[in-house]
Amino acid sequence: MSNAPAENATAEENAPEEVIDLAAANQVIDQYLTLPGNLMPVLQGIQEEYGYVPKPAINLVAERLNVYPSQIYGVLTFYAQFHLKPRGRFIIRVCVGTACHVQGAPRIVDTFFEKLGIGHAETTPDLRYTFEKVACLGACGMAPLAMVNDDTFGKMTVQKVDEIVAEYNQRPMK
Amino acid sequence: MPKLIIDDIAVEAAEGVSVLEAAKSVGITIPHFCWHPALGRAGACRVCAVKLLDGPVKGIQMSCMLPAQEGMVVSTTDPEAVALRRQVIEWLMINHPHDCPVCDEGGECQLQDFTIACGHGTRRFVGPKRTHVNQELGPYISHEMNRCIQCYRCVRFYQEYAGGSDFGVMGSAGKVYYGRFESGQLESPFSGNLVDICPTGVFTDKTARFRARYWDYDMAPSVCPGCSVGCNITPVARYRELLKIVARRNDMVNGWFICDRGRFAPKGVNAPSRPRTSLVDGVKTGREEAMDALLRRLGEVAELYGEGSIAVVGSTRLSQEGATLLPLLAESISAGALSYGLSAAESRASSGAISMLTLENGASIADVENADCIAIYESDLREEGPMLLLAVRQAWRRGAPVLLVGENSPLEQVRGVGIEAVQLHYMEEAPLAIFERPVVIAGMRHGDPRVMAVLDRSGARVACLFPGPNGHGAALLCAEHGGIPLEEALAKGKVKGLVAVEADIPAELLAGVPFVASLDWRETAAVQAASVVIPTAAWVECDGTYVNFEGRAQRFSRVMKPGLPIKELDPACHPPRIHQGDPPGGDILPSWQVMIEMIRLAGEKVPDGPFSGSWANLTSLDPEGEGEVIRGRCRRDS
Repeated sequence: MSNAPAENATAEENAPEEVIDLAAANQVIDQYLTLPGNLMPVLQGIQEEYGYVPKPAINLVAERLNVYPSQIYGVLTFYAQFHLKPRGRFIIRVCVGTACHVQGAPRIVDTFFEKLGIGHAETTPDLRYTFEKVACLGACGMAPLAMVNDDTFGKMTVQKVDEIVAEYNQRPMK
Repeated sequence: MPKLIIDDIAVEAAEGVSVLEAAKSVGITIPHFCWHPALGRAGACRVCAVKLLDGPVKGIQMSCMLPAQEGMVVSTTDPEAVALRRQVIEWLMINHPHDCPVCDEGGECQLQDFTIACGHGTRRFVGPKRTHVNQELGPYISHEMNRCIQCYRCVRFYQEYAGGSDFGVMGSAGKVYYGRFESGQLESPFSGNLVDICPTGVFTDKTARFRARYWDYDMAPSVCPGCSVGCNITPVARYRELLKIVARRNDMVNGWFICDRGRFAPKGVNAPSRPRTSLVDGVKTGREEAMDALLRRLGEVAELYGEGSIAVVGSTRLSQEGATLLPLLAESISAGALSYGLSAAESRASSGAISMLTLENGASIADVENADCIAIYESDLREEGPMLLLAVRQAWRRGAPVLLVGENSPLEQVRGVGIEAVQLHYMEEAPLAIFERPVVIAGMRHGDPRVMAVLDRSGARVACLFPGPNGHGAALLCAEHGGIPLEEALAKGKVKGLVAVEADIPAELLAGVPFVASLDWRETAAVQAASVVIPTAAWVECDGTYVNFEGRAQRFSRVMKPGLPIKELDPACHPPRIHQGDPPGGDILPSWQVMIEMIRLAGEKVPDGPFSGSWANLTSLDPEGEGEVIRGRCRRDS
């Protein structure tokens, strides 16, 4: 007597299932299959492979590790380290901590929003950029500060935002 | 049996119980949210703090987490404990939206009660509250996460107790969220219990949303008519309309919970098409005239077609009161055939079951929960008795293997409660003998009655799932009075006059019967085919008794007066100009009283009440009691 599906499902629920190649996820699971408490390393491994944890992979992990999908979602949403949506090739992080704030970080953030057409914790549709405001990057002497993946840009200005975006637009996606 | 002192009262607690339960046993209620009798403790809410003045542990402790021990001196009223509880509840209420006026839980809300009980009356925090986005959880349950106090009861019930896999807890710290990962209908067949178990209004019954407050309800102890398990329920009505159904505790039957099928089944009691007045050839008449016409026409049928041309048919949803009077009614109108509406297969299975069951070998739900091996024989419990599936899960959690025997025991049924089972072909393959407390749950729809002999020899306790809420009672009376299967009674074309008492008879069997009379509260095929219709009171509109699958007779009480729901009355007739004692459409008697009237009109001796002779012990059943087990009275060798 499993309850029947809701009649008025939203458009989002009717969206087609994500299709991804699960071979890599299967490999990660194979690697940790016999390890006690293997859920965390499996999810971390999958995120490393795909850049995020895709929904079909969650169902696969649930099936193979014999854990409820709802429990996996519980773990994934508990930790800030996991991402459930695809992330950009370049992660732009702009510090909005106290020192950077005083040095004009809000204007840097706004300029990035304008340039990229996305907001905080969002990803451009071409998957090139993900933008995040962060509390402190630990380099207050260089305020205001921005990072793109592992590259650091200190003493940011609005002009430098243009330069950074122009430069990373040229970089290859792989 | 540790002895301790709680608030100057000496308490002798049962072994292993917590201080909170020990206090409850002497009538001291310590505020609690995460602790629930069926789920145990979680230590999540911190609101049950007490102070221990002396004994093995001292200082402030959480009473739900602390086992009662010898020599403890507990104070629930110590200023330190009171202050802590007040601070905890204030903290739990920080993000609560205070939307009690528009919350369906208002008036029956544990959070309201314990907020007041803990002494938090004025809000001091003026900052913004955290808010959540609610989910669409299907047509039955509303979700309002802002009211949540993070007691973890819902997820503990849903995942651990009921084995549901699609609902859980997400996020961390201030963003803890209980729900599905995305909107969608809850999949567990026991999801409705979230409504009962949530101490506040996060989950409320969508089917009765914004309809009434607790103090407006018409309520009475009742028994679910959905299947033969006979779960104890409290139907909630207002203005002669059944609004919703909540679980009622009976540890011998359903414990604290009921299934979604019983809770959310369409409420036929409110159906506008229900027969409300007596009809003769489609014309409204009084009840007396309709009975006269009925008896006169039956006389004509008997004269025309001779003896044995009249049949009386009951059903397994007819209360035991009606079912015991059915043979007397049949006698008074000289009926040649008496049937309890069972099919030939059901009849064979039921008679096999009652002749096998004894007081010793019958299984209750508690026996299922405590079993060390369970075999489900030819049954889909989702259809025949969903609550047994929940009991099977509790046994499985304690390590009992679950065997599905026969091709009509689908594997999908156990997946719904998150357990694993082994499939077998034949009952003989089940290794019941190597277990100490094996239980077999036998379905009646597809089961082979010959297997009853195998079960009898196996030493296992047996739960037989009779059809209908009073299937066991009907089967006992069938055996006593020689009731015959429905097809046998009607198929041969011999029957020319039929009295259907709350009977569900397929239309094709009715086609060849010239005169049909129907006593019913549902619009069945028999009501549609009948020339004489006499309405009867539905199960929530009268007292009655059902005998459940294990042979436990349980009394249910009248919840509301019979009559048209107020919202169905013609607005032009309001306000009423004529004084009436009964509400409109309320001149309705329970079926057994209609039968007594008919016996009287037929000129036979009228019994004092529905139960006489060997059934007299059912007269004094307590609706709030545990019921009385009457199985085994028809066993052949006794």
